[in-house]
Amino acid sequence: MSYVKVSQLAKRFGDVTVFEEIDFTIEKGEFITLLGPSGCGKSTLLRSLAGLNQVDAGDIWVDQENITHTAPQLREIGMVFQSYALFPNMTVLDNVAFGLKMKGINKAEARAEAKRMIDLVELDGKEQFYPRELSGGQRQRVALARALVVKPRILLLDEPLSALDAKIRKSLRQQILKIQRELNLTTVFVTHDQEEAMLLSDRIFLMNQGAIVQQGKPEDIYTKPANEFVASFMGHYNLIEAETANQWFKLDSQQKVAIRPESIYIKEAGRQYGDHISVAKQGTVLSHQLLGNVIRYSIEVEKQALTVDLLNRSSERLMAAGSTLELLFNLNEIQPVRA
Amino acid sequence: MDNNNLLFHKSVVYGLSGLLFIPILATLIYSFSSSWGATMLPDGFTFKWYTQLLTDPRFLEAFGRSLFICISSLILAMVLVLPMIFVVFYYYPALDKVMNILILLPFAVPPVVSSVGLLQLYADSSVQLVGTPWILIGTYFTIALPFMYRAISNSFTSINLRDLVDAAHLLGASTTKAYLLIILPNLKKGLLASTFLSFSFLLGEFVFANILVGTRYETLQIYLYNMRQTSGHFTSALVMTYFAFIFVCTWLATRFSKGNE
Repeated sequence: MSYVKVSQLAKRFGDVTVFEEIDFTIEKGEFITLLGPSGCGKSTLLRSLAGLNQVDAGDIWVDQENITHTAPQLREIGMVFQSYALFPNMTVLDNVAFGLKMKGINKAEARAEAKRMIDLVELDGKEQFYPRELSGGQRQRVALARALVVKPRILLLDEPLSALDAKIRKSLRQQILKIQRELNLTTVFVTHDQEEAMLLSDRIFLMNQGAIVQQGKPEDIYTKPANEFVASFMGHYNLIEAETANQWFKLDSQQKVAIRPESIYIKEAGRQYGDHISVAKQGTVLSHQLLGNVIRYSIEVEKQALTVDLLNRSSERLMAAGSTLELLFNLNEIQPVRA
Repeated sequence: MDNNNLLFHKSVVYGLSGLLFIPILATLIYSFSSSWGATMLPDGFTFKWYTQLLTDPRFLEAFGRSLFICISSLILAMVLVLPMIFVVFYYYPALDKVMNILILLPFAVPPVVSSVGLLQLYADSSVQLVGTPWILIGTYFTIALPFMYRAISNSFTSINLRDLVDAAHLLGASTTKAYLLIILPNLKKGLLASTFLSFSFLLGEFVFANILVGTRYETLQIYLYNMRQTSGHFTSALVMTYFAFIFVCTWLATRFSKGNE
């Protein structure tokens, strides 16, 4: 049996269903991301795992134990909040030692253990600081240490990086991943940022409107979207109507087909393309966005607007709006998707 | 230009505060003068009135009674209000709006009206309440309520109550422990400030004290009222002592509301 098993979990607030029929399993030491747009129920699901919300139906098993109705104090689940939720009246050391104190561990031992955790999150020297004296990134590391010090069976992270600026976010997510690997922690991470999810996760559970629409490895979710929602949420998939697609690619699809912006090529003279890269189409550049390493073109082909990503190899290749060009499609990457 | 403006502002501010200080200053001087009748300046200065006041057992008793009533009502208010606000904010946040209206009620009804109402209500009661300090404690509790609720609810909104309690729960703390170890220490500032504020307000309250209890339990205010026929120097000394006490309380309140940053 898997380390964590959730079956048929459902939660309602009055008449509103937040999520229902949630099923998944998590192996020990796995890094799982609950990914989805805001309001999809991912945070409520996470809080239900922690026991901070009661569920209306279904079961949660952790390590062969049914904890569906266990009080949060007894679940041995740690959580890091987006708001940090550090205790403002306590120093860093007291914050981290709080969980040990509640367990009744003696003061000296608790302090030593807390100190070890503070070192692990690289905050040594800040033990006597108050949370208000720390930066956002430092506060979140204190929160992480506080959650980890009691050796939780599962670590839950509720958008822990969302309140931080880009640079801190990047370094902190590396640090989270490193600690997670080091301690072999079973981790559930909630985010609405698909890039973050791709970078961190062993598996992603993609949620929409209270249901898990697809679960799998990041690369599978990215390359094989189960439906239109996944295709539009992961990357900037082009969705082409069945009729147009059948005509262009000689398919017999009843559903829309999806193709990623990087699987469409702008034909360059004198370059050899493989057999699977074909079907030349004339197009007109509508606009382009410079994303840095990538140039994102919006190109119109027979009234169908397509997004095409090109590596920004040299600035001479930047094509102005109105220029015409020829597009090639990687046929292996064209796939029908459910609505 | 700027300098002139500043000068103008300063002279207005100082002039106005000077004007407002004249009566207090006059009372102060009067309380220290041996006699001040037909002359421009007092005949001489003396501590006589203060010694007389501070050695008067009736004054000391009245002062003690006032302290007893104010402190009891504040303790009652604190013991009831703190858990109540926690329940309102943690379990029923929607009730905050209702509370905000409720706590204004003691101010919405003029004291004269509500004291007469209370008098009628409790006059026939089998338990003798009117004329005892207990009815005053109950009444003062309702007066302290708005000050306390406001200040403490402000402290509550400035902390992220739900996340803090959730975090404490997940670390193994019961709701009671979370409240005592985490929430309460963060309310200290608002609590102290509002306590001192209500204290100085209650110490000077006259209408309820006079109508509900009067001379049967002579508090500071009633004592001052009863002494109005004696020497003006003596009552001035009384007023100044009272002022000094209130000043210290207010100073402490502002200090605490600024304190801990």
